[in-house]
Amino acid sequence: MKKVIYIFSDGELKRQDNTLKFHCEETNRFLPVEDISDIFVFGEVSFNKKLLELLSQKEILLHYFNYHGYYMGTFYPREHLNSGYMILKQAEFYQDKLKRLELAKAIITGALKNIRQVLKYYDNRGKELKSFLERIEEYEAQIDSCREITELMAVEGNARECYYQAFDIIIDNKDFVFEQRSRRPPKNHLNSLLSFGNSIIYTMVLSEIYKTHLDPRIGFLHSTNFRSFTLNLDIAEIFKPILVDRAIFTLLGKKMITKKDFEKNMEGIVLKDGAKRLFAEEIDGKLKTTIKHRELGREVSYRRLIRMELYKLEKHLMGEREYKPFVARW
Amino acid sequence: MFVILVYDVNVKRVNKVLKKARKYLNWVQNSVLEGEISDANYKKLKMELQKVINEEEDSCLFYTFRTTRYTNRESMGVKKGGEGVFI
Repeated sequence: MKKVIYIFSDGELKRQDNTLKFHCEETNRFLPVEDISDIFVFGEVSFNKKLLELLSQKEILLHYFNYHGYYMGTFYPREHLNSGYMILKQAEFYQDKLKRLELAKAIITGALKNIRQVLKYYDNRGKELKSFLERIEEYEAQIDSCREITELMAVEGNARECYYQAFDIIIDNKDFVFEQRSRRPPKNHLNSLLSFGNSIIYTMVLSEIYKTHLDPRIGFLHSTNFRSFTLNLDIAEIFKPILVDRAIFTLLGKKMITKKDFEKNMEGIVLKDGAKRLFAEEIDGKLKTTIKHRELGREVSYRRLIRMELYKLEKHLMGEREYKPFVARW
Repeated sequence: MFVILVYDVNVKRVNKVLKKARKYLNWVQNSVLEGEISDANYKKLKMELQKVINEEEDSCLFYTFRTTRYTNRESMGVKKGGEGVFI
């Protein structure tokens, strides 16, 4: 599978000899353009149009984040998989209230099942999480009776709140208490980790959507608006617990990230560069991890699983096979 | 597939080979590149190199591995180039 490049240093990204070159004070590195699918830019990087031309030609997405590590945007090359048919199907399922609800329910069911899987693991490891597991299960049972997307969102919100409460027991570190979910800007350390991790997953899913016929602007759980991509948010719901949250537990459990890795500014708490890099490395490692796929009978990486999730969605939209969300087995 | 490319070509063509190979593989040290590559790109790389080299006097060697699981890579001295996706 093609690689993702993460640039944290400041420098210049150039097109040279029909490939990419990153030029900065410490290194002068050529990056094999044929083996790259996305570039995440966190540092202060300058580039020009001829670089963008090459990226377009090679269908490489360039995601950029601002100084504080917030997602700012994506250089989304010309669509290479154009399908009017798929857009119409997507719109049809979006506009039909029942069809949309059905899909949204499937997505939330997947998300909650994966949440339970994460909790179950720590419960087996001797953390007292039985009550949380039961509550999540109750919320899961409520999904079926929802008649409106808003109702569904409420159930999801409550379930997530309950799930985040469990973080305090799992992490068990007084420097990283949950308190409540706060975003834009995150008000405590744990929240800023969550925000950063989630934004990486959102963009990673967007990259995978680019490689399918789907249009990222039409989501099903999140309502389509004038501003942002939403389909990637939908699919990310399923993968957030198993990718981001697990990465957080690992980093905090091994004390790889501590309170010193944050700084306070502008009302919020943000991660320092070194910690961002560690976190990105952890998530990247997770995405590369392979598991044996039961149906295919071969090893697939988590990154591939995201793509397969989109293919399943396409199949559902075309009426070939009903969409069943991915649920982790451990 | 993982591939190690080693080349020994006439000075006139060293740069040409390097430029072609850098699109697909990571430069490790003079005349050596390595990296993960897909079957299709491997073919493309070989074709591109074929066009550049003079088959009478140049040589390119490819060592391919289905997986790197059973290999080990040790290095001594200066690290000149290499992989790594975090810059």
